[in-house]
Amino acid sequence: MQLKKRRNAKLREIGTPLAAATCALLGQAVPGSVQAQELMPWDIDTSLLIYSESDGRVQDTSLSLRARKEMREEKFLDLSLTLDSLTGASPSGAAPAGVVQTFTNPSGNAQYAIAPGEQALDPSFLDTRVAMAGNWQMPVGRLSLLSVGASLSDEYDYTHTGINANLARDFNNRNTTLSFGVALANDSIDPVGGSPVGLAPMLGLGDTSNKRGDESKDVTDFLIGLTQVINRHTIVQFNYSLSQSDGYLTDPYKVLSVVDPVTGNPVAGPAGSGLYRYLYESRPDSRDKQSVFALLKRDFNGDVFEASYRYMTDDWGVDSHTAELRYRFNFGTSRYLQPHVRFYQQTAADFYQTVLFAGAPLPAYASADHRLGEFDGITLGLKYGQATTSGNEWSARLEYYTQTGNASPGAAVGSLANLDLYPDLNALIAQFSYKFGRR
Amino acid sequence: MQLAMKGAVGLLITAAIGLSGCARVEPWDRDVLARPDMQLVSDPIEQATDDHIYFSKEASSGGQGFGGGGCGCN
Repeated sequence: MQLKKRRNAKLREIGTPLAAATCALLGQAVPGSVQAQELMPWDIDTSLLIYSESDGRVQDTSLSLRARKEMREEKFLDLSLTLDSLTGASPSGAAPAGVVQTFTNPSGNAQYAIAPGEQALDPSFLDTRVAMAGNWQMPVGRLSLLSVGASLSDEYDYTHTGINANLARDFNNRNTTLSFGVALANDSIDPVGGSPVGLAPMLGLGDTSNKRGDESKDVTDFLIGLTQVINRHTIVQFNYSLSQSDGYLTDPYKVLSVVDPVTGNPVAGPAGSGLYRYLYESRPDSRDKQSVFALLKRDFNGDVFEASYRYMTDDWGVDSHTAELRYRFNFGTSRYLQPHVRFYQQTAADFYQTVLFAGAPLPAYASADHRLGEFDGITLGLKYGQATTSGNEWSARLEYYTQTGNASPGAAVGSLANLDLYPDLNALIAQFSYKFGRR
Repeated sequence: MQLAMKGAVGLLITAAIGLSGCARVEPWDRDVLARPDMQLVSDPIEQATDDHIYFSKEASSGGQGFGGGGCGCN
């Protein structure tokens, strides 16, 4: 009986295949007839997230629920649900100008104006997103763990469906784990007002003649991982991943300004439209990304140090480095404080251009989306967590994320030299989580 | 691309074989590593939240997990 209690106490703590594998090994000491008679409760994680960008940009309120249960001996079901409510304004990609700029919104039935010198933000950004996922994890033989899953998400203009599988096998007395995963996704995009023809001009009110129908993309991900126990207090993980996307990878709501190559001023758009000239962006229809990821976790007398690094490179010309550090100060067994810092740096995609110049031949692909530009990102955060007397746990974290970037080389001509072509992005991330069900 | 993947598989298997000689933490010494805060992903919801935020604001995604996305935000 004592054995059973100890074993169940252990099982409740586990959250990853490694721990599951550890317990499976401990479990061998338990006679089969004693196992799995007791119903395990659902472990429930809930969270409320407020993501808020400054200057009236994107605001996201998000509710998440994740439930995990041991359905049968060492077989786990994971279910998750997330609801996002997005409002605010999103950069259209157009450059600021010394004059008032008017834009037709994506639906084509309204227009908005941007004051001189201001960043062009499309105020019609509004969406609700529902995402759900399910995952089944089970042992295969004595040393392997298989998990299979499916995901689904739906937005007003976007639907995602995906499946994934991962097989992990332990070696070396369970000190080493090798894993291999595959994920397939098929997403469909049904942009408001239709998907614009690449590099076609924005048209006046009510004219949708350069918009087309739905689009789609397929994404295939491969992930190969190695987890190694270094000693009783240290574990490391190395991953290599490859992600291949094919299909419509363009952002249907982003445009580029066409400006005079000498004065930097916007040039006239289609006759009778009353607009300056803005061209819808166009991206290649395939993208291959590769990344390597390394993680180290170490226990220091009950505190936990975590460091990770990721290098990513893709065939669009983007290279990025991401480094993260966390240190969890555990105060006894019931309270902790965890500072977090994240550094991110990326180079621009080959076709990233802050503006296009009038009279120059059109490139095959072009985007002024800041997320494809050269920038640095820094996140600073602090999290506090506390166990309740009933054994549940709540935590709260506050993080500040900032992006500082550069316009594409040679973009700051004439009047553009005095304007902010890559405004900083500042965002607050506040999240409150509550976990219960663990006895 | 396929070559890179084969290379990565080879490298990881070589590393696994190489590492198999160095560590020997027995099951009864896994008390620390079995702690929830020592798991590779100790807070799945926080991880999913961060993946979602950075996927929608940066040109990179994935690394520790799949980076496929499933969101019209990028």
